[in-house]
Amino acid sequence: SGELYCSLLNPRNVRFESINMKNVLHWSAPEGTGNGVLYRVKYSVYGVGKWIRKPECRNINRTWCDLSSETSDYEEQYYASVKAFLNGMSSDWVETTRFNPLTDTKIDPPMVSVSSTDKSISIILTAPEKWKRNPKEESVSLLQVYPGLQYNVSVLNKKTKKRWFFSISNHTLVVPWLEPETAYCVSAQIHVTTPILDSGFSKEYCIATLKDKTK
Amino acid sequence: TAGNKILHFGACRVSMSMAEIRAGFTAIKANIQARDSIRTLSILSYPHSLHKVNSSDRCCITHHLFNFYVDKVFKHCRTEDSYVNRKISSIANSFLSMKRKLGQCHEQNQCVCGQESTEKFKQILANYEELNVTSAAMKSLGELDILLDWME
Repeated sequence: SGELYCSLLNPRNVRFESINMKNVLHWSAPEGTGNGVLYRVKYSVYGVGKWIRKPECRNINRTWCDLSSETSDYEEQYYASVKAFLNGMSSDWVETTRFNPLTDTKIDPPMVSVSSTDKSISIILTAPEKWKRNPKEESVSLLQVYPGLQYNVSVLNKKTKKRWFFSISNHTLVVPWLEPETAYCVSAQIHVTTPILDSGFSKEYCIATLKDKTK
Repeated sequence: TAGNKILHFGACRVSMSMAEIRAGFTAIKANIQARDSIRTLSILSYPHSLHKVNSSDRCCITHHLFNFYVDKVFKHCRTEDSYVNRKISSIANSFLSMKRKLGQCHEQNQCVCGQESTEKFKQILANYEELNVTSAAMKSLGELDILLDWME
């Protein structure tokens, strides 16, 4: 049946928010509207242009919609669009800018694990995984997506407050010639050279070197 | 210089200021792409993504594409925004030097063109000619990240 709609103010700030290629469409409610606004979402692949409705985000009252599955091919680029409905009124379709999953995603810090001997600490870094539809699906490390992925590692001597920085492509690092029985704190960041992407630094992982064996 | 990258195309090695080009494009990407309202056509990705191109043909396609951008794109992309124009000309200069380097590889037969690259480039030109020059050039410029993603 035909639905008669008068005009409603548009949803605002329609954009993709992406972390590790989990691509979620977000927006803000039309200005001045309280509860009761419903939304519909559609998306399109750039170059194909056909708009495809997202059934799970039809007549929803939340202001986000997970389009990770629909935008998982990071060799493509995408647009998404949102329309608002309230009391028989509807807004225009409001679009995102062109979304490129490869360059427009944010990357989480790496996982850091540390162990120590009396005079060295060993650091193992693990890059986050690309978003996947379900846990059973094969994991894809962001290392495979971004071959130019590197790690920036910071090592802090808690006693002297001296800090070292290392930039490595390998995922392991041994820091030698340290002082025994001393606490060191490690934090790491992912740095992708092409395209240019940086994660934040991980939280600090602290460990103490062991007693000097020679004494 | 910082951010230069050596791109390997078989025997052909070309140094390119990728980081500089990327940074320049990122600064104007939203502005340029907003000028392109045609969603149903992509110059580089239609009907098949560049990523499907055979690796043996990469050098030739890249050579064709640099010629394409220098000869048919940058010169038709003037805007009313001087900041955007400066970024475009900086990218164009980088492409110009790359075009020369790839040209040398081509002359030394290190950049052989197979049928696939010829067909692919014909398709790119056909896509380009479907639009008026300014729209086609602006759309091509807006797709620079597609080219850079593929090249890297």
